[in-house]
Amino acid sequence: MNEQSNEAVSVRPNRDGGPVYILAVETSCDETSVAIVRDGKDILTNVVSSQIETHQRFGGVVPEVASRKHVESITWIIEEALDKANVKPTELAAVAVTQGPGLVGSLLVGMVAAKALACSLELPLIGVHHIAGHIYANQLVNELEYPFVALVVSGGHTELVFVEAEGRFRIIGQTRDDAVGEAYDKVARALKLPYPGGPHIDRLAHEAREAVTLPRAWLEPDSYDFSFSGLKSAVLAALNQAAMKGQPLAPEAVAKGFQDSVIDVLVEKALRAVRAYGAKQLILAGGVAANKGLRAALEARCAEVGVPLLAPPLSLCTDNAAMIAAAAFLKYRRGQFAPFDMKAEPLLKLEAWSV
Amino acid sequence: MPSDTPLVLGFDTSGSYCAAALLRGDESLATRHEDMGRGQAERLMPMLEEMLAEVGVDWRDLGRIGVGVGPGNFTGVRISVSAARGLALGLDVPALGVSLLDAAVWASDGPCLACLSAPRDRAYVQGYHTAASIPAQLHDIATLPTHWAEPGLTCIGPASDPVAEHLGADIAPAAFSPASAIARIAAQRDVDGAPSPAPLYLREADAAPSREGAPVILDAR
Repeated sequence: MNEQSNEAVSVRPNRDGGPVYILAVETSCDETSVAIVRDGKDILTNVVSSQIETHQRFGGVVPEVASRKHVESITWIIEEALDKANVKPTELAAVAVTQGPGLVGSLLVGMVAAKALACSLELPLIGVHHIAGHIYANQLVNELEYPFVALVVSGGHTELVFVEAEGRFRIIGQTRDDAVGEAYDKVARALKLPYPGGPHIDRLAHEAREAVTLPRAWLEPDSYDFSFSGLKSAVLAALNQAAMKGQPLAPEAVAKGFQDSVIDVLVEKALRAVRAYGAKQLILAGGVAANKGLRAALEARCAEVGVPLLAPPLSLCTDNAAMIAAAAFLKYRRGQFAPFDMKAEPLLKLEAWSV
Repeated sequence: MPSDTPLVLGFDTSGSYCAAALLRGDESLATRHEDMGRGQAERLMPMLEEMLAEVGVDWRDLGRIGVGVGPGNFTGVRISVSAARGLALGLDVPALGVSLLDAAVWASDGPCLACLSAPRDRAYVQGYHTAASIPAQLHDIATLPTHWAEPGLTCIGPASDPVAEHLGADIAPAAFSPASAIARIAAQRDVDGAPSPAPLYLREADAAPSREGAPVILDAR
């Protein structure tokens, strides 16, 4: 199945045989980010401009507002990244950009700026899958061992990915409705917590002494898929029923009940996948990887079964361009470049992006 | 015109097209206009490369970039603005943002009203040399103030038909295509202290709080 082993890949050197500097641009949602990474591994700079404060008053990301913010800041962030890294545009080996998935209007801003930069500097262009970026964020801080299983959890994604060899992805499970982060945001709104809700629920859950009992959606016995919309509805129903009885629930207990349910399912399915696929590592990726409860539960279970858990630091869990550069390096080594008519793909498939 | 005069590239994707023009001084070396409802983000860079190749010049021969900043299709405006800013950075040349209202009336005489199409029976308008002060704005065509219709007023631009009909004014053709006018205006601009091109939207983003509000807690009493 794996006809292309790591060893068979010859490293494509930079034009002068020196280090390979890739400049990457990420604008798939509400962070504008530009990074410069050397040899797919060393971060020279990773500038992230978050729009969270702008979107907080709407309780979520407003696509048109996000696109407006991206276009305002895109080039000065590129300039700042070059400046901070002390790299001249002419020293770059390639320009990488998130091709998808994401908000199309947001993707387009980064896509066109990256194309213009690559075109005018006569550099190769590399389109990158956002989730491949989240997974390969781990390459910036850890040594990856294949095969591994990655649990990708964020505001837009909940996926279990089997990575048999470098850059070869197979989605073995995914959410059938809400993403984990989306469920966190909806429950947070019900508890009148600010957006984004994840960190607030995580904190409340840790403070709680008791938990509201909530269901777990295991789906079919052999399924690695997830479902969180039923859990969200159960939270809302529990809140409503308690309020009708005049005995409102403690937000801490709701947060803990919700988080326990989410973590149970994520951890069990991830560990089952690790066993079934003979994974040498479990990789945690995406914004929800910052969740302390999830990390602790995964660490405990991974220690039990003797499989290392790899998770990037918080700054590399949330959307950033360094992870895009890390994933782009896989394509750079293989000379897999994109044409200048590359299309931003809001629904880009991870498997299709495999090297 | 000496051949070492820097070239000026102008382009625009604010409507249902991809358009570009290349100038050396006053001389038009090449123009492009391709109609397309979407796909400007895919077509723009290859189209510019083809145009430069046809003239036998290189990206490095460009001395300045002019870009249409709208008003127009929001996504389309952001495509050309992002491209212009990326090119300016890569080539280390100035990029200048040009209003498409300015481009519509460029080289026209007398009082005139730039009229650009907008969705839902509205138009983006701006008055030039008009008695009434008419700043750039988005306006319902049916309620345009008729006192704007001074003697000799000409309406110019894609939305000039319905606007002129409403105001009882004359219609005049634009002197140049938008991309050519953008390049010409950019060529004459002072680059010192000129800001980076930024979209001219003339309309706030449609941004409403999330539809999924907090759940309604039924009153227990």
